[in-house]
Amino acid sequence: MTASLLAAAGLARELAAAVDQLRRITVQVRAHGAATGAGILWTGGESEGRGLVITNAHVVRGDRATIELSDGTAARGRLVARDLKRDLAALEFEPTSATPSAAVRDSPPLRVGDLVIAIGHPGGLVGAVALGIIHGAESPREGRTARWIRADVRLAPGFSGGPLADATGRLVGVNTMTHGSLALAVPAAAVEAWVRRSHALVAS
Amino acid sequence: MSTVLQSLSSELADAVQSAGGAVVAIHARRRIPASGVHWRPGVVVATNHTISRDENITVTLPDGTTAPASLAGRDPGTDLAVLKLAGQSFPTASLRPETPPKVGELVIALGRPGPSLTASWGVVSGVDGPWRTWQGAEIDTLLRLDLAIYDGFSGGPLIDGAGRVLGINTSALARGVPVTIPVATVERAVSELLERGSIRRAYLGIGTQPVRVPESLVRKLELKVDVALLIVSVAPGGPADRDGWLLGDVLLELDGAAVSDPTDILAKLGGDRVGRPLAARVIRGGQVKTLQVTPGERPKSRAA
Repeated sequence: MTASLLAAAGLARELAAAVDQLRRITVQVRAHGAATGAGILWTGGESEGRGLVITNAHVVRGDRATIELSDGTAARGRLVARDLKRDLAALEFEPTSATPSAAVRDSPPLRVGDLVIAIGHPGGLVGAVALGIIHGAESPREGRTARWIRADVRLAPGFSGGPLADATGRLVGVNTMTHGSLALAVPAAAVEAWVRRSHALVAS
Repeated sequence: MSTVLQSLSSELADAVQSAGGAVVAIHARRRIPASGVHWRPGVVVATNHTISRDENITVTLPDGTTAPASLAGRDPGTDLAVLKLAGQSFPTASLRPETPPKVGELVIALGRPGPSLTASWGVVSGVDGPWRTWQGAEIDTLLRLDLAIYDGFSGGPLIDGAGRVLGINTSALARGVPVTIPVATVERAVSELLERGSIRRAYLGIGTQPVRVPESLVRKLELKVDVALLIVSVAPGGPADRDGWLLGDVLLELDGAAVSDPTDILAKLGGDRVGRPLAARVIRGGQVKTLQVTPGERPKSRAA
């Protein structure tokens, strides 16, 4: 009994720590005339000294948005890439201080039943957490990554564009839409590939 | 380093993987397939309501291959169906019949609505004693779940954190709310369905409704209870009709026990009662009368 209580306490502490870490890479994205969505701080890559935020295209309809970091500082975000088909958008901003960025899970592949953590801002509640598991693994077609990560986690409007992470806090996807009680996220690998491609376009 | 969280995550995935090796997809209706569990070697348990045809049933195995299956029996009462699968060797489910699930226990519902396995997690939100489904079957334990259900999950297993099966999930017994038919009930049904193809249940052919007997009548007739069952329908040609029961009779006792709820009648109607007369006390025309009825076998229709 004591051992299991200790384990439960350890679980709660670790969950709180993982959530804390994830909240730091989760921003609020406020676009004119749209409800607040979430966004993920991404490694800048080529653009030195600039911050990059990945969110859903449906969160940013115009070419500007206000980005609010978890420490409360706000910055002006400028749209640098948008893909309506994948429902992804990239915003650049000038950070006032050093910002963390998401660590992406490369391997091993996710298994059905693996724990996942989602962070978002439903109904203006900043940094809300939802815990769930991987619902189904979509077998990737030849040479392609799976189109969606399907998770059994209850999301609400406001989670869009935010991170879906594994038990160690590494990013596995961008929460994009729900289907009943199922959450669909764009796989992090697909986002990485998209960022590389669209950044090359922006830079040229 | 989050070690507890990480090991919980991989234990859940391990449980899903090991139990998923015995979960199959059942193609026996239009639209999406439903799930089934390899219960005993060559025997797959599924839900009755997701099987809409008796023939041309195929099963997708965990390795992705498809095999034909034959329907060995089905029971609307428990919403269970049993299929036979010839010449396939893959694991059977590991069952947990002895320790009943506890309220708050972490559980996972598995399904295979196609080639790949799906899972949703939650907790057992309620555990209660035996209950009867609306078609008269007795289920040993009422297991209520706090988890999301997805299309095609009916017929899939509810598993514990170690991947052991606690029962078969269905959405057809409680108005779409997911319930789990516990292992003991499934075992009983499987044995009977393999042996006979159906589950015998005795049947009277009456519909009843609880009514309060007026106090004056209770005093006059010296009754011990004041709630009884008013007979509001009598199936033409059914056992009660044949034995002279009438619409408007108020049933007080059946087989020596007071009845105040329709389930009290079902409790007296096990499969072994077919053809064995039961005594009943009713109020008819302001008088208490003793009647007899010889239960028949419940027809396949939905009559109560």
